[in-house]
Amino acid sequence: MEIKLTRRKFLLTAGTIAVANLLPPPVDSEAMVSSNSFATLIDLTKCDGCKNYSVPLCVSACKEANRDKFPEPDRKMLKPYWPQKFFDDWSSKRDVIDRLTPYNWIFVQRIKINKEGKEEEIFVPRRCMHCDNPPCAKLCPFGVNKKHPEGPVTIDCKLCFGGAKCKDVCPWGVPQRQAGVGVYTYLDPLPVGGGVMYKCDLCFDRVKKGQNPVCVNKCPKNAISFGRREEIFAKADLLAREKKLYIYGKEENGGTSTLYLSPVTFEELDKAVLQENKEKKQVMRFHKPKNMLDKYKNLAKLILLSPFVAIISAFISAKKVNRED
Amino acid sequence: MKGNNNKVYRHTKLEIAIHWLTAVSGIALIISGLGEMPMYKRYNITKLPFLSFLGSYEINLVIHYLFASLFIFAVFFHIVYHLRRKELSLLPKKGDLKESYLVLKAIIKGEKEPPHEKFLAEQRLAYVAIGSVSLVLIITGLIKTYKNIGPVVLNPDFLMIVTLVHTVFTMFFIILFVLHIGAFIVKDNRELLKSMFTGYVKYEYAKRRHPKWIEQIEKTSK
Ligand code: HEM
Ligand code: HEM
Ligand code: SF4
Ligand code: SF4
Repeated sequence: MEIKLTRRKFLLTAGTIAVANLLPPPVDSEAMVSSNSFATLIDLTKCDGCKNYSVPLCVSACKEANRDKFPEPDRKMLKPYWPQKFFDDWSSKRDVIDRLTPYNWIFVQRIKINKEGKEEEIFVPRRCMHCDNPPCAKLCPFGVNKKHPEGPVTIDCKLCFGGAKCKDVCPWGVPQRQAGVGVYTYLDPLPVGGGVMYKCDLCFDRVKKGQNPVCVNKCPKNAISFGRREEIFAKADLLAREKKLYIYGKEENGGTSTLYLSPVTFEELDKAVLQENKEKKQVMRFHKPKNMLDKYKNLAKLILLSPFVAIISAFISAKKVNRED
Repeated sequence: MKGNNNKVYRHTKLEIAIHWLTAVSGIALIISGLGEMPMYKRYNITKLPFLSFLGSYEINLVIHYLFASLFIFAVFFHIVYHLRRKELSLLPKKGDLKESYLVLKAIIKGEKEPPHEKFLAEQRLAYVAIGSVSLVLIITGLIKTYKNIGPVVLNPDFLMIVTLVHTVFTMFFIILFVLHIGAFIVKDNRELLKSMFTGYVKYEYAKRRHPKWIEQIEKTSK
């Protein structure tokens, strides 16, 4: 009896240690995003919105490069998401370039601001921020929205169900849905799914080959720079200090891999964007969103502890009852 | 024999507490877990009175977290506690598959069931089923939770499998849950339902339906 008890105690301790080792200690958040991953810097002092072109070159380059990935919906499937009365269809509006759509993964925001009494225009190329702790990817119920160690956040179009949860949990509402494509079409007439979500994938196929995303290369003003996170972040800090610019994207949503440099504060830009798009349902803002997962980080850590609390208290209470017998 | 003459002691207060903790947290995990899928808004469940909160992924995540810690506590407590006390009567025995078929047949045809031990053969099988499904949900759930504590970047393909397993095993969990509740359609099982509140079953019931159990108690108490 004695021996068995000690053996069990031994197994329990060994098991506890094994499990504890499986969980690397919660490291300081910044440290977990590799400094070797990729990041983008978008310098708003340089971007002029391609005023001399009919379509900004980053936008046309992106459309051109991703043409084969754009959805070709099955007409029969373009019907309301029962019991709802609507469905998301952009297939007849492929030319829209003033917002994100399944056929437009980057757009240029034109923001009028007042600088020392003068009206000025600021142009902002907007796309997915490729966040460090992206709720869109981490909360996808099928795990097909993925955060890669290299930095990009991508959606697997072949397996996406189109529930649009990623769009709802993204503080900027980035992913866009197209009905009539994807796995849900095989389940028709079951009223599940809604299509496929689309967004910028940071030209992941190119990045893996050591190339830049196409929007970076096509910019005539060199407003977008792309490279290793460490270098891009250092460059942003330096420019911000030297030219007295403001940075966006470093803290927002718990940190992202896309930094904006602006001559005016982002509070001001945010106000102006909201003002100009009052009637629109969806506006891509410059607010300061908190990361939804970070907010409940401590609760999450508590969960990781609960098996140990349970094992210890069961061990103790089982012994007590044994003595009573 | 514990208890007075016409009652048989079946569950301790602690066992009852742990069972209801699993039950309440398991149900809350099903509800909040489904709330982590884009369902409630789509099917207008959020339009029902008092249920609009189910449309928030954030609220569902907090509920899921809270009850996950309780569920994990209850399951681990149960395992360690009963292992340590060597109370293994819920583990399947040889021949349980065949026996549970015979029991089911007898119940459906209204014939006399074969004599039971403390638990029915199907209970022992169901126990292993819901137990292993729960463990899979806990392990995958812990991985899902771990990646949420900050910018933790795990291999995305590994995470996809973990997530799909968590989602698919939720369906198994719901099926087993429905069967578990469905068992109380059988009138004889309702005596057991009472015992999950009071801790006791009637002696006549136990003697008639679980003679092997009574035999064992009477042997050891002598
Ligand atoms: C009865 C047990 C459980 C059921 C029925 C259940 C069900 C679900 C469902 C249906 C989802 C949404 C789909 C998905 O993301 O895979 C989900 C998500 C989630 N579950 Fe569970 N779950 C259970 C237990 C647990 C446990 C024990 C934990 C934690 C240890 C956990 C952690 C999570 C987390 C963190 C999510 C959110 C999505 C994510 O962050 O990846 N679950 N659960
Ligand atoms: C997700 C929730 C639940 C889980 C995981 C769960 C799990 C279990 C397990 C593992 C057992 C051991 C014996 C067996 O397998 O039959 C058990 C017994 C029992 N459960 Fe549950 N249960 C849940 C919910 C419920 C609910 C809602 C009820 C009541 C309507 C209930 C009533 C009972 C009763 C009466 C017993 C005792 C049967 C006996 O005395 O032999 N359970 N439960
Ligand atoms: S910006 Fe939105 S879609 Fe892009 S990674 Fe962040 S949360 Fe996801
Ligand atoms: S990185 Fe590639 S996919 Fe993303 S906006 Fe630029 S060109 Fe388009």
